[in-house]
Amino acid sequence: MDSATTALVAAGRGDEEAFGRFYDEVASLIHGVVLRVLRDPSMSEEVTQEVFVEIWRLAPRFEPSKGSARTWASTLAHRRAVDRVRSEQSSRERDTREHEKQDRPADVVSEVVIDRFDRARVQHALAELSDTQREAVELAYYGGHTYREVAALLDVPEGTVKTRIRDGLGRLRNEFGVES
Amino acid sequence: MNHDLHHLAGAYALDALDADERRAFEAHYPSCDVCAEEVDAFRDVATQLAEGVHTPPPGSLKASVMEEISRTRQIAPVVQPNVVDLTERRRRRVAPLAIAASVVLVALLGIATLGFNRTSPTEEVLASADAVVLSLDGTDGSVRIAWSDELGRAAVFGDGLPITDDENEYALWAVTDDGVAPAALFDVDADGSVRAVLDIAEPDPNGWGVTIEPNGGSPQPTGEILFLGTF
Repeated sequence: MDSATTALVAAGRGDEEAFGRFYDEVASLIHGVVLRVLRDPSMSEEVTQEVFVEIWRLAPRFEPSKGSARTWASTLAHRRAVDRVRSEQSSRERDTREHEKQDRPADVVSEVVIDRFDRARVQHALAELSDTQREAVELAYYGGHTYREVAALLDVPEGTVKTRIRDGLGRLRNEFGVES
Repeated sequence: MNHDLHHLAGAYALDALDADERRAFEAHYPSCDVCAEEVDAFRDVATQLAEGVHTPPPGSLKASVMEEISRTRQIAPVVQPNVVDLTERRRRRVAPLAIAASVVLVALLGIATLGFNRTSPTEEVLASADAVVLSLDGTDGSVRIAWSDELGRAAVFGDGLPITDDENEYALWAVTDDGVAPAALFDVDADGSVRAVLDIAEPDPNGWGVTIEPNGGSPQPTGEILFLGTF
C-alpha cells in the first residue's frame, strides 16, 4: 500500500492526524486537476476544499483492494470540478447575460509551480498519441468537456470522438504501464 | 442501447458523458466485465493525467480543510446488507403485489459510481445489463425507477415523498400501449424516502406513474397522478 492509501485507510477510522498526512500527500494532485479544469483560482480553492471534506466524509467507504487512494481521490476531484463547470454553464445559459470574463487565458497552469518530472512524463506519453487522439483526450479531461461538446468544438461526428478517446486512453494505458 | 454503452468506458472515465448517459452507463458497467475492466484501467490513466498537472494549493487551505473536517461527521462504513432472498419470493409469485426490500442508501449517491457495494437488491437491479433508469416528473419529492426487463424487477428510489395514512399506500403503474396497468405497491419510510425492489409482472412498459391508492391497490388509478415518466 502506498503512503497516501495507508493514511486514507486510517482517516476512514476517524484519525484526523492521518487525514492531515493524506492531505499533504495528495494536495497538489487534487488542486492541480481542479485548477486545470476550472481555471479560476479562487473557485478552484473552494472546490479543492469541498473535495477534501467529501473525501473525509466518504473515507470509511474507501476500499484499498479496489484501487489506490490517489486514483480514488483524483477521480472524485475531477468529477466534482466537471460538475461545477457544468452547473455554472447551465446557470450561465439560463442567465442570458454574457459572462465572457469567465474565460481566462489558456496558460494559467504555466504560471504556477508544476511538478516538472510528472509533467514531463505525462507530456511524453501524450506525445505518443496521434494529434486527433490527444486533442480529444485533452479537451475532455483537462477541458472538462463532454464528448458531444468535443465533437462540436472539433466539428467531427460524436462517434469519432468516442473512438478517439477510447483509442487514446488505450494507448496511454500502455505508455503509463497501467496494470489494472 | 447496450451495444452503444460498451463504447462509453473511455468517455466515462474522463467524466465526458452528459448526465443521462452517465446514469445509464453507471447502471450498466458494474455487471459488464469488459466495461468494468476498462473503467478501472482508464481511471488509472486519468489519474496519471492528473499527476501531470500538480499544483500546490495555497498554504492556508490545509488549516481550513482540517477545521472543517473536525466538525464533519463521516459516513457509516459498508456492512454486509441483509439481503432478502428475492428469487425465493419471486418463485412464490407474490407479484405483482410486491415487495419492499433493500437496505443500503448509498445506491444513487455517486458512491456506487466509485465501485462500492454491488450487492444490495436495488443495486442488483441497477447493475443488470438491461437496466433502464427513469426520473419521473412530479412536484412533491422525487422518484426514480430503475427497471430490468430481464429480472422482471424495478428498483424504486424516492425521496421527499408525502407520508400516507394507514389506509393508503403508494402504487406504481406501468404505462403500456393499452393504457396503465397496476405494477406494484410500496410504502415510504417515515422520512419520506423509499428504496425498494418491486417484482413487476407487466412486460415491456413504456413508462411509469405513481399514485396513492387505498391499501391493496386499485385496478385503475383513482388517486391523483403524482409522478409520471415515459421512456
